[in-house]
Amino acid sequence: MPVLESRQFGPISYREDALIVFPCGLPGFEERHRFLALSLPRREPLVFLQSVDDPSLCFLTLPVLAVEPAYRLEVSREDLIQVGLPPASPPRIGDDVLCLAMISIRETGATANLLAPVVVNLRNLRAVQAVAPDSRYSHRHALFPPPVSGHDRAAGSTNKTRPPEAGRRSARSSAEAAPC
Amino acid sequence: MLMMSRRQGEIILIGEEIEIVIAHIGRSRVKVGIRAPRTLAVLAREAKLVRDENLAAAAAVPADAARLLNLWRHHPMR
Repeated sequence: MPVLESRQFGPISYREDALIVFPCGLPGFEERHRFLALSLPRREPLVFLQSVDDPSLCFLTLPVLAVEPAYRLEVSREDLIQVGLPPASPPRIGDDVLCLAMISIRETGATANLLAPVVVNLRNLRAVQAVAPDSRYSHRHALFPPPVSGHDRAAGSTNKTRPPEAGRRSARSSAEAAPC
Repeated sequence: MLMMSRRQGEIILIGEEIEIVIAHIGRSRVKVGIRAPRTLAVLAREAKLVRDENLAAAAAVPADAARLLNLWRHHPMR
């Protein structure tokens, strides 16, 4: 099994078929294609999106439904094709896709990006950060108001990382790759 | 903000080098063509928002996670 020397968690051994692949990367990180979705004991429902291409890059995410239980996922036709989902029918969270909101932490508080959730096709683990142009959701949805100061950051880390449920499914390569 | 009404196929000029073409008007969206020098970045506003937000998100570290969860779970906004 390949081992990733992650900066935050130390060594992580993973299976190739647990890799989540963003064919076009993420906005701002276009060259980062391969990620692992990690859940940690006592940190659920957080999902850590750890880059395999850049061991120092790890995003904090939450399932969108944990942030906004009534979240309505809208994915553009181009993005659906990108991850190999049928463009005719909207994907169902949990059944068809894993849907994660990226978390940002500032001095003014922590926010979730509900405007552009990460959408992972559970059948092939291809993923896209789906920017919804007509979305009513904010890219800075407040999780709670300030302050979240950074001065008491602990150096807590653990090696007991494991891929979440989605990561254990077998990955099938998708033949039709839309251009980025 | 300067507001202009344009029909399909009409063009707006910005300075000497930028052309905005109203290429197609649909029911709820318009298709816009932009001709501009290569040195100018042209992108949808939400794409820039997401890019900037991702750069900020990359700065959050797993060590923040415990505190984040604690605050989030106990806050009445949930």
